[in-house]
Amino acid sequence: MSDWRPPRPGAHEQRGRSQPSWAVNAPDDRPAPEPEPEPGYQAPQYAYEEAPPAYSYAETFTPPSPSYTDDPYGESTPGPGPSAGQEYPRAPYYDQAVNGAYGTHEQAAPVDTYALDEPDAGYAAYEAESVPPGYVLPDVPESAWSFDARRSVRLGRILLACVLLVQAVLSLRLRGTAFEDEALYIASGHYELANLLHGTPLPVDFNGYFSGYPKLYPVLAAVVDTHFGLTGVRVVSLAFMLGTTGLLYATTQRMFNVRAALGAAALFSVVQSTVFLGYFATFDAPALFLLSLSAWVVVRTGRTHTLAVLLAAPPAVLAFGTKYASGLFLPTLVLLAVITAYRHRGWRALARGVVLGIGCAVLLGAGSLVTGHIGGISQTTTNRAHGTDTAMQMLRDCANWGGLLALAAVGGSIAYGMRARMGEMPWVGSATPGPLRRISLGVVLTGSTLLAPLYQIHLGTETSLFKHVGFGLLFAAPMAGLGLARLVGPHFRNPQLGIMLYVGTLTFGMVQAHDEYSFPDSTNMVAYMRTVVNDKGTYLAEESEVPAYYLQDVTTWNQWQNTFNLDYDAKDGKHYSGPAAFHAAVMDGRYNAIVLRGGVTPDNDQAVMDALKGNPHYRLVAVLPFTTTIGSGDYRIWVKQ
Amino acid sequence: MTSRIRSLAAAAAVGLLLTVTAGCSTFSSSGREKYQHAEGGQPSVSGTPTDGAKASAKPVLPYDIRPLLKPEKKYFGVSLPGFPASMQPLQKYASLVGKKPDLVESYAAWGDQFESQQVQDTWDYGALSFIAWEPMKESLADIAAGKDDAYIHQYAQSVKELNLPVAISFAHEMNGFWYPWGTKKATPQQFVSAWKHVHDVFADEGATQVIWVWSPNVIAPMKSVRLKPFWPGDGYVDWVGVIGYYALNGPHTYKTLYDPTMDEVRGFTKKPFVIAETASEGGQRKPADIDDLFRGTAKRSDVVGFVWFDYNKETDWRVDSSSTAAAEFRRQAAGKPYGVDVRKP
Repeated sequence: MSDWRPPRPGAHEQRGRSQPSWAVNAPDDRPAPEPEPEPGYQAPQYAYEEAPPAYSYAETFTPPSPSYTDDPYGESTPGPGPSAGQEYPRAPYYDQAVNGAYGTHEQAAPVDTYALDEPDAGYAAYEAESVPPGYVLPDVPESAWSFDARRSVRLGRILLACVLLVQAVLSLRLRGTAFEDEALYIASGHYELANLLHGTPLPVDFNGYFSGYPKLYPVLAAVVDTHFGLTGVRVVSLAFMLGTTGLLYATTQRMFNVRAALGAAALFSVVQSTVFLGYFATFDAPALFLLSLSAWVVVRTGRTHTLAVLLAAPPAVLAFGTKYASGLFLPTLVLLAVITAYRHRGWRALARGVVLGIGCAVLLGAGSLVTGHIGGISQTTTNRAHGTDTAMQMLRDCANWGGLLALAAVGGSIAYGMRARMGEMPWVGSATPGPLRRISLGVVLTGSTLLAPLYQIHLGTETSLFKHVGFGLLFAAPMAGLGLARLVGPHFRNPQLGIMLYVGTLTFGMVQAHDEYSFPDSTNMVAYMRTVVNDKGTYLAEESEVPAYYLQDVTTWNQWQNTFNLDYDAKDGKHYSGPAAFHAAVMDGRYNAIVLRGGVTPDNDQAVMDALKGNPHYRLVAVLPFTTTIGSGDYRIWVKQ
Repeated sequence: MTSRIRSLAAAAAVGLLLTVTAGCSTFSSSGREKYQHAEGGQPSVSGTPTDGAKASAKPVLPYDIRPLLKPEKKYFGVSLPGFPASMQPLQKYASLVGKKPDLVESYAAWGDQFESQQVQDTWDYGALSFIAWEPMKESLADIAAGKDDAYIHQYAQSVKELNLPVAISFAHEMNGFWYPWGTKKATPQQFVSAWKHVHDVFADEGATQVIWVWSPNVIAPMKSVRLKPFWPGDGYVDWVGVIGYYALNGPHTYKTLYDPTMDEVRGFTKKPFVIAETASEGGQRKPADIDDLFRGTAKRSDVVGFVWFDYNKETDWRVDSSSTAAAEFRRQAAGKPYGVDVRKP
């Protein structure tokens, strides 16, 4: 490798951390004689890529070796190296590694923490060569950010804690009363829970129109809601999202190194979807967590037995059950299983993906037998009502939401495809995946960002896309982390670039999450409705799930009618549907109270408003203003008189 | 050198990236507006939030006037000279009749500001304000056409902001010919259009604290004028405020004075009645008129009360125009049916 450079003069004289600088090897222990340093040479110099080679590395340096034996590619984070005084065993693939048979890699052999950070160590050692001591020191493994020594791992975890703290703060600064979906899932969870525990009949078939299996997340949400309220359920989402970032870190570290892992966690933790979902009580956070858990298992078992990848199937299938849209990313997991089958190549690697695919299919089949027909999949996911949102608008919004991370991932993928590692300490290294595997990894992970947007472009609806982009960004994040590490460069040459990328992503994410997390404040509406409702009335409400959730202590689910659709047999004996049904029902005085907020179902709202104009059955009793990022509006409440 | 070029290239890439992304909507002026909206402020021209939405965020629910529409007891109302400029006449009247009035009527010209302080003081006193809103200078057609919408919106906003119940009678005695909005100057259709328009503007503003009093004169003086064409509809009216005085000439019993009008009104609505203006002309009959008024109102479950016009205007309508009248009034006012606690109706 032309860019390999020897260690600084005297580096072959090994020292332990606790040794004084003058303690060097005896002359007889030294390898071949080395040239004198040039006059004026200043050691140490860490920028090895710029220093000219002074002598043959292979002759003078004994590289550290991994402490495990089941890792032919040496890609994993190694365990601690031999303690001081022990000889490092020469790895069987060492010569290959040195000669570039496997190329270089972001990670390296196991090391402990050593005294390379002492500025005058090498120079002092060099000076002391002429005074042979009477003892021998062990080899000093190289230690740096370029491979995961215990120190860097510990530091990485501390920084990860900071990243998670920032993520938590960004999510917790969001405020608001329950959004329609949150209210729906939590309220339904209470009914599902009662159904599970006591066999209480469900008011409606939630399974028929939910975008996730109603006996999973909603039940958990209801249990938490019972004890801790909406805030508690949202905090559970935060825990899921923090767990997702943590697993992303672990996955990326396993695939690359601590630096890339930190970059991935840092960028993913501040995109708007992550911040938003971190305080949003819906299926999304647990589904993301389960997907990330599955991805982590896939990568973690990359060097073990092929069948171990089956451990990734339960969380993957559970993610699908939690939110059906997660199924879009099951192929990504399967492909990831193939690419990370480090023990095998060719069809053997494919077998790993097949095993995972079969495992998932079997579990899905078993799940469908247990749950029966899941009508919600077609209504909310596979056959969602086609909208009129344009592809260009959706792509532009997606670029807004995740563009920086996606671009970093593209950059990382390109850089990784071109070169497996930055070559900071090229004499320390092990095998790296070949170019095909590297390129495949970049394409699969980065390409996953496009899955949700393309699918929703196909459906023509932008509904929930701002959340769904986060699923793709989770998979692209490892490559983005690598891209960030490459942007910063070897030896943290350009930290300002990485900081700029992180701060830019954070700023966008923070502002966008704040924009998206803006629902009408229903506090006053619910308070007013509490003075109006009883356990016998029938109430029409736009986003009826919100008052139905907050007033579940005094009303039941079926007392509430939303403004989405209605079939109505009017007093005139005719059957109506759509806006005409709402108009006829209001003209008939069907409801004891009506709540409109505008904007959600404009056609039906207009029909209701037309029917209310001068309607002797109803009196306008409250107009309660609210503001969202879209603009100002009012809850308008009519009661029957 | 190579590394420097690499660094410059990377910096240029990031710079380009940020330049491109800076053009996106997140940090555009519309993005800033969104942010301000989310913060609860209305974006102003200068981009700084105003306090409008902050005030609206106050966790105070609109006053629910529904319990006041048909309270258990009857309203014991009055209209007095010197009020609302001062609360003293009210206190003096209360001591005269031995009971605090719970419905106090005053007159406001079209163009007057809503007297928030007066309504507040009246409420604090324990009475509901009843405003007769008189469009003396603006035609009903113009009001219906929206020419005075700015004024109506402003008035409605004031009502909403005060958030206290208030009864409003717009263009009362519309079936008479003596006012500028009467039958000589406007058609029933114009009256209905104007009424609906004013009502709708209040609804748009969210001023739901108003008890709308549709207030015809008793039909006796103009028997040929039918009331139904003036009726805006049940969705626009809360009380039917019949105006009729016990005069020396003409009908002077509850049955002859009010019943014909109420019967006609019952032909098109079941809304409760309030005697929006009444009094008895001086004379020997006054105590009997007072007794008839109290008894007649108490007897009818669909009449929520009356307002005594305590003026010495054209004739002496006051309670204390004679000592016997005052004594009778005091005796009747002490009766159980009268006296609404407006806070707990």
